[in-house]
Amino acid sequence: MNWLHRGAHALWQTGAAIALLVSLAGFAQAQETAVVKRATQLRDAPAESGASVAPLEANTVVTRTSERKGAWTKVNTAQGATGWVHMFDLGPQSGSASSSNNTATSGLRSLGGLFGGNSGASTTATSTVGIRGLGAEDIANAQPNPAAVSQAEGLRINADQARQFASNAALQPRTVQPLAEPARPSTSGSGGTNSMNTPYDPSSFGPN
Amino acid sequence: MRLTFRHPPTRRLLATACTALTLTLVPIQGQSQGVMNLLNALGGSGNASSSAGGLLGAITGGGNTAAPQGDDLVSMLTRSVESIDEPREIDIGRQLAAVLLGSKPLHPDMALQRYVNQLGRWISLQSPRPNLPWTFVVLDDPGYNAFAAPGGYVFVTKGLIDRCADEAELAGILAHEITHVTAKHHLLALRKTAQSGMLTQLLASQIKTTTVGNVVASQFLALGRNLYARGLDQTDEFEADRTGVALATRAGFDPYGLVSVLQQLRTATPDNPLFALSLATHPPAQTRIEQLELAMGKNLDGFTGAAPVTLAQRMLPKGTPAASGPPAAAEPAAPARKSTPPRKKSS
Repeated sequence: MNWLHRGAHALWQTGAAIALLVSLAGFAQAQETAVVKRATQLRDAPAESGASVAPLEANTVVTRTSERKGAWTKVNTAQGATGWVHMFDLGPQSGSASSSNNTATSGLRSLGGLFGGNSGASTTATSTVGIRGLGAEDIANAQPNPAAVSQAEGLRINADQARQFASNAALQPRTVQPLAEPARPSTSGSGGTNSMNTPYDPSSFGPN
Repeated sequence: MRLTFRHPPTRRLLATACTALTLTLVPIQGQSQGVMNLLNALGGSGNASSSAGGLLGAITGGGNTAAPQGDDLVSMLTRSVESIDEPREIDIGRQLAAVLLGSKPLHPDMALQRYVNQLGRWISLQSPRPNLPWTFVVLDDPGYNAFAAPGGYVFVTKGLIDRCADEAELAGILAHEITHVTAKHHLLALRKTAQSGMLTQLLASQIKTTTVGNVVASQFLALGRNLYARGLDQTDEFEADRTGVALATRAGFDPYGLVSVLQQLRTATPDNPLFALSLATHPPAQTRIEQLELAMGKNLDGFTGAAPVTLAQRMLPKGTPAASGPPAAAEPAAPARKSTPPRKKSS
């Protein structure tokens, strides 16, 4: 067996393993870059009462750790300072995947045929990196499984059992006022009242 | 277009028994006689958790392969959502649950299934509809997703469970799904599809009647496949986020669980095969966070403060001393294959 080939093969295997790990991780592992949305303080404790470690200007880039306490996330600054920031004071780095709202059709591409060609989405299957989650095509091909529903229903918990669970977990019901609906986001890609995640508007759906 | 009728997030009147039978079916040809009987059979029993009878039984039942006719189900769905009484709502949910469970099986870890049922049922008790027959299911799937169906069916994937850093995150997700049920978002979406005349199109394009026993079952299958591949209205997702946060807080959890989930979701890219469907069927995570920030402000910050508990810690048998910092992923007791490395250490 020649070494060159073995080396190349090992290299390929490593690459494949890394690709698989990356896809398995799903989220960025623990370290994520974020941007400070508005001027605030880096605090030494997860509370408004925490002492300021350093001021944070708007648009400062920080690295989020996986540590969270309530509304507060622990972050590291480029200067090497560590402290806590309120989650609502952090935004995504511009240009990250999340700022694009054009994800709407990706899950539906493999469904093309279902929509009578109306959706305009191309029928490119989602690429798979060895492992993938439940996708639109699984649902498109699903045959009903009533036996599994019955099995799931057999695992129901009644109200008393649920209260016992809460009691063991020291969970107390609390009085919380409903949150009022804010103004609708102005970032809607479709501009419609329906949604940007709906690739067709049923009200305008006609036979083609 | 949006429905002009919006549901107040309060307990709503159940349809009375007399409206239960006002299914004025459009007179249709004889082959739909069986369908009429099926739909009528739905009206009677108020026993929510009956055996697999009603429409669901029809899926496994007779082989009358009639040509698809949307009239019966469409007329039911096109009516105001209020006219669909609770037993019928639950039956619709069972049909849709059967479609979802036809795409992925139950996860075999029964301890995990039990835990998610306990957690979800507790949260549901604080909801406007505490007496629905709530059913929580972990699907055996490495992807990251959550679904619900009318009448109290809630699904989360094992991949989602494995990525919950703590119980507050899972509570936030379950409360979001519970809100879809209590606000009848799926019925509204089905109604819209029925009104659009799309059902006939769906049936023609995706249902081979030989694979499903009858007309109603075919219609539900087509509707279910379409609904879960397409997702709900964006407005309904924002409502489920907002109302779900308040619900999880009411049940004693950190209000920021869902915000934390969305912050992580923000880092997933749409081409990631574990997240594709989830991202395709929901508004962008960043927009959801912004909407939550507008709704929450810092009004709920007083409800934070509980130390984070991981799923693994909560699932430990009672009396086991909680080791400090176990991995976040709920580790099944049975030797099940583990699909992900633990994402985080608990703090």
